[in-house]
Amino acid sequence: MSVFSAVIIGLAMGVLFGLALEKARVMEPGFIIGQFQFRNFTMIKVMLSAIATGLVVLAALNALGIVSLSVKAAMVGNMVVGGLLLGVGIVLAGACPGTALAQIGAGYRDAWAILAGGLAGAFTYGYFQKPIDTALDWSSAGLGNWGKVTLVDLLPGGFPTLALIFAALIVAGLVALERWRPWREEMERNDPVADAGGKARTGRSAYAAPAE
Amino acid sequence: MSILSARSWSPYAAGILIGLLQIPAFLLINTALGASSSFVTVVASLTAVFDPAILGIPYFKSHVATAKDWWQVALVAGVALGAFLSVKMAGTARPAMSEMWGRVMGIRSFPVRLLVAFAGGFVLLLGARIANGCTSGHGLSGLAQLAVSSMIAMAAMFASGIALSAVFKRV
Repeated sequence: MSVFSAVIIGLAMGVLFGLALEKARVMEPGFIIGQFQFRNFTMIKVMLSAIATGLVVLAALNALGIVSLSVKAAMVGNMVVGGLLLGVGIVLAGACPGTALAQIGAGYRDAWAILAGGLAGAFTYGYFQKPIDTALDWSSAGLGNWGKVTLVDLLPGGFPTLALIFAALIVAGLVALERWRPWREEMERNDPVADAGGKARTGRSAYAAPAE
Repeated sequence: MSILSARSWSPYAAGILIGLLQIPAFLLINTALGASSSFVTVVASLTAVFDPAILGIPYFKSHVATAKDWWQVALVAGVALGAFLSVKMAGTARPAMSEMWGRVMGIRSFPVRLLVAFAGGFVLLLGARIANGCTSGHGLSGLAQLAVSSMIAMAAMFASGIALSAVFKRV
């Protein structure tokens, strides 16, 4: 595929991705930190819905033999330390790499600093990849590179079967979650974007006046 | 269109739409949704303008080589564009910074927030590149493929995120 067509496809897909992230408010820093504080379950609702949909889609495409999976190797040290840093970064940034871009689009100007810091962080890893990866290779403790292992390698049943089972479990979990924390209530309570009248619905002013 | 001018969507509708994006990702680009490697592509290309030797580093070279790399750069640029169009059509444009930072971390000054945001972005992408994926690549795509790597990375991400956010005031 040419770079040009790849870019056009990427832009079109990204616009849909960005729309979804903004409309669900899952790119809101308050929603993201609210998830980590168990105050707002929007982030986990969006993620689990996307995962369940992905499981069903990939089960179908995989069963038809159209696609092969694209799994990342389980380098345990990298996954643990990288994941821990990712969580710290998400809290300080109020965003993950994708939602930082959605924040920029939505008008949050501080998200440009997340982008700049992110570029510096990506550069730092690329420049020091060898020493970092060497330090995180815990092979001597049995926690080296486990390879591109998935649950298909650990449980009976092929990918399509397991994917559909996990999708069903996720949907059941989401139904329970929605009963416990209805999304409309969470949106009413937490949505920082004031109504057209300029006032947040809850009375508590969710936003200071724009700092521009 | 009313869907586009709606103020908000259900998280389930948003999640399903995002999950469906795996179809063009796998069928057209032969990859899964992801966001963080685009940062490598962009920073490698930018720094190479000043020092072409940077592309001699294998990690950087491998991120500017294929159409897939630029597909992901376009994807994250499209995310910004999509969010921009969304807030324009719904009238939900955000201020320079969220007021939440004042309540949660006591940050009311924009320059101070910029410093924290830069530091956060740095740790975010350092972690994402060490883990070879972020909330999208591991959280959405890896888990949708039942990958053990993604389960470890996401468990670690939620563990540190929950622990650190507990230090701050409640949202």
